[in-house]
Amino acid sequence: MANIAAQRIKREFKEVIKSEEVAKCAIKLELVNDSFTELKGEIAGPPDTPYEGGNFVLEIKVPETYPFNPPKVRFVTKIWHPNISSVTGAICLDILKDQWAAAMTLRTVLLSLQALLSAAEPDDPQDAVVAKQYKENLEMFESTARHWTNIYAGGPDLNKDFNDKIRKLVEMGVEEHQARVALSSYNWDLERATEQLFS
Amino acid sequence: MNTEGDVDSDMECSDNECFGDDSDYYNTDDIDIEQVDPSKNDPEYFEFECLTEEQVERLLNESVELLSNNLQILPSLAKVLLHYHNWNVSEIIGKYRENASQLLINSRVKPSSAPASNNCSRYLTCPVCVLTHSSDKFLSLNCGHLFCKGCWTIHFEVQINQGISTGISCMARECEVLVPEDFVLKLVLQPNIKEKYLQYIFQDYVKSHPQLRFCPGPNCQVVIKSQDTKAKRATCSKCKSIFCFKCGIDYHAPTDCHTIQKWLTKCADDSETANYISAHTKDCPKCHICIEKNGGCNHMQCYNCKYDFCWMCLGDWKAHGSEYYECSRYKENPNIAHESVHAQAREALKKYLHYYERWENHLKSLKLEKETFDKLKTRINQKVMSGRGTWIDWQYLFTAASLLAKCRYTLQYTYPYAYYMDTGPRKELFEYQQAQLEAEIENLSWKIERAETTDRGDLENQMDIAEKRRTTLLKDFLDV
Repeated sequence: MANIAAQRIKREFKEVIKSEEVAKCAIKLELVNDSFTELKGEIAGPPDTPYEGGNFVLEIKVPETYPFNPPKVRFVTKIWHPNISSVTGAICLDILKDQWAAAMTLRTVLLSLQALLSAAEPDDPQDAVVAKQYKENLEMFESTARHWTNIYAGGPDLNKDFNDKIRKLVEMGVEEHQARVALSSYNWDLERATEQLFS
Repeated sequence: MNTEGDVDSDMECSDNECFGDDSDYYNTDDIDIEQVDPSKNDPEYFEFECLTEEQVERLLNESVELLSNNLQILPSLAKVLLHYHNWNVSEIIGKYRENASQLLINSRVKPSSAPASNNCSRYLTCPVCVLTHSSDKFLSLNCGHLFCKGCWTIHFEVQINQGISTGISCMARECEVLVPEDFVLKLVLQPNIKEKYLQYIFQDYVKSHPQLRFCPGPNCQVVIKSQDTKAKRATCSKCKSIFCFKCGIDYHAPTDCHTIQKWLTKCADDSETANYISAHTKDCPKCHICIEKNGGCNHMQCYNCKYDFCWMCLGDWKAHGSEYYECSRYKENPNIAHESVHAQAREALKKYLHYYERWENHLKSLKLEKETFDKLKTRINQKVMSGRGTWIDWQYLFTAASLLAKCRYTLQYTYPYAYYMDTGPRKELFEYQQAQLEAEIENLSWKIERAETTDRGDLENQMDIAEKRRTTLLKDFLDV
């Protein structure tokens, strides 16, 4: 690994550990290996959003050319968000692409991702299904996102209705996550989700 | 013409009194001819120049010099402004006089907020590599964001390797200020990267200049320049590529850039059907023997039963001889609005295929052009060997063949035009003219393939008719 990249990551790691956000448990950063090429990040779901109470784990890969090129970041925790793929966790965020600047740090990345959770950009979607729901039925989107936060990120809000519907599909032999994706995509319409799963 | 004029004016000087009236008469005549504006007669008239890389550099540098002298700014900053404003010097000067600082902010030369203030300590820590160096190792752009020289260099190298040149900006967060050329060249030391940078930046400059266009020919370095930025036919003097000056793809008159793009996308999307359709063989409509088309003419004669028919519609050729050449016209089903969705879809496909088949057919004919030329050569050789005329006597056939190719090319591009036209009298007129052009082209093609004598009167007459039909159609419908 290039000298500058390792130097920077060491320094940034310290910066995050000492930061006030860590003290407030809003962000977290851990080393995955000794060579500083991969890190594990964690952000808390921002208050007053469907993600509140959840903890979202991120995979951070540091390229050889860091910090002149952005780190590669994706969500490991499954999440329902217009700018994040519900399948792969890939993120659509300008600062992780062409708006990256060498003077930015992992801390700014984590805080920007947290900001993205509070303010989605449905017109620049990564996940078209989620973005469509966000624009057409915001309430449905919020309860779905809250449900995903509860299941995958340890959020507090249990949705009995959603869980019942999933259980019905599981009883028919559908894998649980697959059932959740189908129901989420069809606004929790059990009939249409079933149709899609068995067609 | 000019020499004659010179002689006239000489005479006017020496023998003014005697020849005064005469020379006046000739002079007026001369001026009359010169005043004929070629753009009025030829709808495809287009003035352009083919420039080498050095000539383009010189041209760009003239604008840079003009602007930097006028505004008293560094040439590298002038380049940033020119690139940003598509090389419109007067627009930049106007905006500069109006509000210089706003112009510099909008063009990303100056930061939108006040420049970062720097403390003057002897040692600084670079925010990128987090190392401490003495302050003389640091540089900043107009925005005042200081970074060490080493980091600037790596930043440039990384960006250049990703193909970015004019778009390289400051490394600070949310800073939009662009890095001017001289700043990059001062810090990038590897010769191959420097070379790449100069190449990319040159490409960016040419692409942002409305009067310049790279020749789209493979590995061709020529840049075409024209004052007129319309969708006209440009021909590269080096690689002979013929292309539309506006959009850079194959020349497409009478169809406009937007329509041809739509058509080509459609053709690519529907390629499965199109492939099926464009099979090279057809059966003779009379004796049903399988025929492969190996030449350009649509007037087919079955070698088996000698039946004359049209390759396009497989109808009797005799019906095509008349003035009204029906085969290029697509007949829309008038009851279509009342039919089911399914039938409408079928009708839409039928309509598309009608135009596509004709488009594809002429394209194929043109691709066979070289073979046609070779065949002509062989035929002429045979004639000359058997003592029927000299090589020179037969040259007119080549002229005729290249005119045929030119006419067929325009005809090919009339089909996408017709496809996207609204039904109505204008479309009827268009299809009438298209049919006439098609008929004359087929006549010409037939005559070239069967030219038996060195008597060229008939053929030249046919050439003239075909070209007239072509220009008439373009005059009426080429709208650029």
